[in-house]
Amino acid sequence: MRGATSAKWVAGAVIVAMAATACSTSKDEAGKSGGNITVVLGEPQHGLVGQNTAESEGAEVLNALFSGLVEYDNKTNEPKLAVAESIETTDSKVWTIKLKDGHTFHNGEKVDAQSFVRAWNWGANQDNAAESLPFFDKIEGSEELAPGKDKKPTATELKGLKVVDEKTFTVTLKAPFSQFKTMLGYNAFYPLPKAFEADPKKFGEAPIGNGAFQMDGAWEHNKQIKIKRYDKFAGDKAKLEGVTFKIYDNLDTAYNDLRADTIQIVDKLPVSAMATVSQEFGDRYLYKPESGVGYIGLPLKTNAEAFGKVEIRKAISMAIDRDAITKTIFNGTRKPADDFISPIIPGYRKGALGEVGTYNPTKAKELYTQAGGIPGGKLELGYNADGGHKEWIEAVANQLKANLGIEVTAKPFTKFGDMLTELGDQKYKGAFRMAWSMDYPAAENYLRPIFSKVAIDHGSNYGAYVNEEFETLMDQADKTANEAEAIKLYQQADDIIIKDLPYIPVFTYMSSSAYSKSVKNVEIDAQGRMDLAKVELN
Amino acid sequence: MGRYLIRRLIQAIPVLLGATFLIYFLTFQMPGADPIQLLAGDKKADPLVAAMLREKYHLDDPFLLQYWNYISGVFQGDLGETLTGRKVSDLIAEAFPYTVNLAIMAFVIEAIVGVLAGIMAALRRGKFLDQLVLLSTLMVISIPVFVTGFVLQLTLGVKLNTAWGIDFFPVSFNEADGMRAYILPAFVLASTSLAYVARLTRTSLMETMRADYVRTATAKGLPRRRVVGRHALRNALIPIVTFLGADLGGLMGGAVITERIFNIHGLGGTLAQAVYLKQGAVVVGGVTLLVLIYLVANLLVDLLYAVLDPRIRYA
Repeated sequence: MRGATSAKWVAGAVIVAMAATACSTSKDEAGKSGGNITVVLGEPQHGLVGQNTAESEGAEVLNALFSGLVEYDNKTNEPKLAVAESIETTDSKVWTIKLKDGHTFHNGEKVDAQSFVRAWNWGANQDNAAESLPFFDKIEGSEELAPGKDKKPTATELKGLKVVDEKTFTVTLKAPFSQFKTMLGYNAFYPLPKAFEADPKKFGEAPIGNGAFQMDGAWEHNKQIKIKRYDKFAGDKAKLEGVTFKIYDNLDTAYNDLRADTIQIVDKLPVSAMATVSQEFGDRYLYKPESGVGYIGLPLKTNAEAFGKVEIRKAISMAIDRDAITKTIFNGTRKPADDFISPIIPGYRKGALGEVGTYNPTKAKELYTQAGGIPGGKLELGYNADGGHKEWIEAVANQLKANLGIEVTAKPFTKFGDMLTELGDQKYKGAFRMAWSMDYPAAENYLRPIFSKVAIDHGSNYGAYVNEEFETLMDQADKTANEAEAIKLYQQADDIIIKDLPYIPVFTYMSSSAYSKSVKNVEIDAQGRMDLAKVELN
Repeated sequence: MGRYLIRRLIQAIPVLLGATFLIYFLTFQMPGADPIQLLAGDKKADPLVAAMLREKYHLDDPFLLQYWNYISGVFQGDLGETLTGRKVSDLIAEAFPYTVNLAIMAFVIEAIVGVLAGIMAALRRGKFLDQLVLLSTLMVISIPVFVTGFVLQLTLGVKLNTAWGIDFFPVSFNEADGMRAYILPAFVLASTSLAYVARLTRTSLMETMRADYVRTATAKGLPRRRVVGRHALRNALIPIVTFLGADLGGLMGGAVITERIFNIHGLGGTLAQAVYLKQGAVVVGGVTLLVLIYLVANLLVDLLYAVLDPRIRYA
C-alpha cells in the first residue's frame, strides 16, 4: 500500500480513479495481468470468519479475502499499515486508529470504524464461542462480554472501543501493551460488514471481505473455494483474475498434481518430496524460515524431583545434538534453535542460547552427575504419534541415553490432545514434545503465551513455570511506548528464560513450497500463507 | 417371496437401532482427549471457548442423555451437527455420491474382470493363461493398496502427462473430468477384491466342472459353451455372489485409502476423519448408512441365490 496510490484515491472521484486503475492494470510492467490458477488447501474447520479461525487453512483463504489494519512485510515481518492510515498511542494503553479512504467491502459497503468495532465485539462475546476470544481480553470491558463459564455476558459492546467518527476509533486496553499494533495484523482483528450480523453462519460460507480478492460463489466443502480479483480494492490490486483453492487431504496427491501442472502452487510440501524437490523444481522451490519453534517441554511443577534443578535441564539441553537431528532426521528442513524467539522475528538474537544450546556431551554428563541426576535414572519422552515426531524424539532419546548414561523411553500418545489432557491432569510426568508458532510477529508472542503465569491456565505453559523477574520484565516491555526499548526488555525477559530453561528449544521450522512453471512472483509469508495478490502468470 | 422380503425389512429395524446405539456408545467411550481439544490441534484450546462449545453441544451430559438427544433428533429427521457447526446430513449428502460412483465402478470392474479371468483360468487349467491369472492375482493381493495407488498415480497420472503429454488419467479427482476421473481409483479400489473373485471363480468353477451333472451334460452331447454357461457356472457363481454382495459394503466403507490417494472426498474419508476427531454424530450417521447398504446388499444376495439355484425357495 504505497502512499501515492491512496493519495490518488483521496483526490480523484471514485469512478475516475476506478477507470484509471482499470487501464493501468492491463499494461503492467513485465508480467501479464489476469489468468486463473489453482493452489492447494486443506478443508478449513469453521465458516470463513476471521474471528472464528485459528487454523492455517481458513487463515490462508481469509488472507486473500480480507485486509487488516496492518499487514506484515514478507521479508522483515515488521508491521506496516494496510487499511489503517495511522495507529497512534502515547502510553501504549489508549490507541487511536484512523482508517484510509476508499476501502470498501466486496458488496460496496464502506470499511468504516464501525466495521472493526462490530467484528471485535462479536469475537469478544463468549456466547459466540469464537476461536479468537482470548485475543480480545486485553481490551477494556472484555470481562463483561466474557464473564466465564455458567455466566451470562452483561454487555454486548467492549467498553474500550469508541467510534470517534466514520474513519476513526480508539481502543483502550486494560493495561499498556506495546505490541498492540503488531497484533492487529492477525485475522481476529479483520473488519466485518453489516451483512455479517444478519446471518453469521451463512456469511461464513461466502464471506464478504475487504481484500484484494472476493469470493466467486460459495465455499464448495471438501472440493474447492473459488475467489476472483476485487477490482475496486484500494490497496495493491491482485494481478490474477482468479484463484481456485483446491481442497486436498493428502499432500502427496497435491504434490503429484503440481508436478503434472494441474495445480500451480503447493505451500506445504509432503515429507516424501523433500529428497528430490530441489532438483525437480530448481529455483521454483522456496525454502525459508517459518515461525515455528520445536521444544522438549518439561513438567517442572508436576515432577520437580526430576526436572526441578536447572543443572539437569541444562544437561539435557547440552546432550542434544541439534545439528545431527536437523540434518539427518529432517534433511535440513529444520534449523537448530539458538534462541527462544524465532529467527524471523524482530528481536531474535543469533546464538542467544549460548552454551546451553551447544552440543557438549562431556559438560552435560558432568552437570548431570553433579546435580545428582534424575531419580532412578529414568526419563520418559512423550510425543504424539499422529504428527511425524517419532523419529526425532527417538533420536533425542538415544542421544540422552548415550550422553547422560540414563534410561530413556519414547512414549507415544495417540493424539496431541491426549498428551495435553494428561499433562493438565498432572498424570503424565515425563518430558514431552512441544511446539509453538506465532500468532503475530512479536518477540512477546514467543514468551508470554508459553512461559508466563497467565499461560498456565490460558496458554501453553504446560510446565507451570513461574519466575517473578520474568513477569516484571514482560510487564515493563508491554508498557514501553518506544519500540526499540520494548524489544530490549523482551530480550532481557528472554535471557531469564534462557538461564532458567523451562523448555529446551531444539529446532526452528522451515517452510517449503514449490510452484509450477506457469506462475511467477510467488511469495510465502512467515505464517506459511501465499501472497496471492502478487502472483502472476508467466 | 413378498412376505419374506417384508420380514427381512422389518428385521432390519432392530439391527439399525442396535448399530446406532453401539456406535454412539463406542465413539463416546473412545479413550483420550475431548473433541474440542482435538479441533484445536497443536495449541491448547482456550478454556472458556472450550467450555462454551461443550455447553453448546451438550458434551458434558451423561451418555444416555446425549444418546437420547441424538436419537430423538434422528427421528425428527435431524442427524445433528459437527462440532464446527456443519450439518451431518449435509456432510453425508456431499460425500455419498462420490463413494457410490466409485464403489459401483469398482464393483463392476471387480465382477466382470474378476469372473472372466477366473473362468478363463479354470477352463485352461495348468496352461499359460491359468498361470498368468494365478501369478498376477497373487501379486495384487500381496501389494498393499496404497502402493498400487501411488505407483499408478505417479506413472499414469504424472509421468504419462509430463513425458508424453497424455493426460487421460487425472492425478486427482476433478469434477470436470466426469466419470473418467473414477477409472484409475476404481481400478485401484477393485484390485484386491478382483484378485479374490478371480481365484474364487477359478476354484469354484473347476470344482463344479468335475461334478456328475456336468459330466452328464457333456455326455449327452451339449456344446461346451452351454455346459459351462448354463450348468457349471450357475452353480459355481453362488459363493462368488456371496463374496461380491458382502464386498459392496466393504467397497463403500473401505475406500479410505483410495479416496485419500486420489483426493476423492467420499464417505470413507469423512468417516475416518470423524472417528479421529471423535465426532460421534458424524460417525453414527455415516456408519448407519453403511449398515443399511450392507443389509440391502445381503438381501439382494439372498434373493439372487434363488435365481441361481431354483431349489432354493423363500416363503
